[in-house]
Amino acid sequence: MSNEKSSTADRELRISRLLNAPVALVWEVFTDPDHIRNWWGPDGFTNTIFNMEVRPGGEWHFIMHGPDGTDYENKNVFKEVVLHQRIVFEHVSYPRHITTVTFESQDDKTMMHWHMLFDNREEFIEVIRTHGAKEGLSQNVAKLDVYLTHLAEKS
Amino acid sequence: MKTRRDVFQAIADPTRRAIIGMIAAQPLNVNAIAEKFDVSRQAISLHVRILHECGLIAVTRQGRERYCAATLDALGEVSAWIAQYRQHWEKRFDKLEDYLDNLQKSKQHVQRKK
Repeated sequence: MSNEKSSTADRELRISRLLNAPVALVWEVFTDPDHIRNWWGPDGFTNTIFNMEVRPGGEWHFIMHGPDGTDYENKNVFKEVVLHQRIVFEHVSYPRHITTVTFESQDDKTMMHWHMLFDNREEFIEVIRTHGAKEGLSQNVAKLDVYLTHLAEKS
Repeated sequence: MKTRRDVFQAIADPTRRAIIGMIAAQPLNVNAIAEKFDVSRQAISLHVRILHECGLIAVTRQGRERYCAATLDALGEVSAWIAQYRQHWEKRFDKLEDYLDNLQKSKQHVQRKK
């Protein structure tokens, strides 16, 4: 049908951000496991990186540990690596998607363009749906936590 | 099995998305919709029913015909989730920025000590 054509607009996420660091440093914190494990993932998460072979065909295998003790295993394969310019990696476990990160040096700052393209609309919707539900849930848990703390203080 | 009926289910299927696209332009009866697809009329009827139950189409009877019109307000729910998902990634890049800041501060610190 007409709205099933080539456009990917309904299954992708694009974010751009000007980072206050030179491109060499940005590249380093993206590609060195000893750096990326310190910042990757949502708030309160820690990471165990098993391997990170930043070259085309190389594997990036890690676990994100959620604050509630849940582990999220992730497997990616690097498709393209251009020093200080571009990294493309494919998330090969569910939900399948390809992430393209490009870096543009702007004096001592770096413009980062982040693009995630999901295999199909169905998985993208599912991710957003599950994700939203989870996010909502964690907010609720946080609220409950505050509430319980207040109760404990009162008694 | 419990079936969920929400807007996400409605748009999770390509045929249903195509139906929404068609009737967004003009209300159509079920036969007219079915004619445009290679699947059975029964299959289209089922899709229409699901879309109706998910609140994305209104069905009105005119004589013996059932007309389907799009009621797209419910799709706002999806864009709200997408905005939240984007926010999630923005927060992750906030973390990256903090990390870069701290890294550069500590490097300057080390250089000054030298």
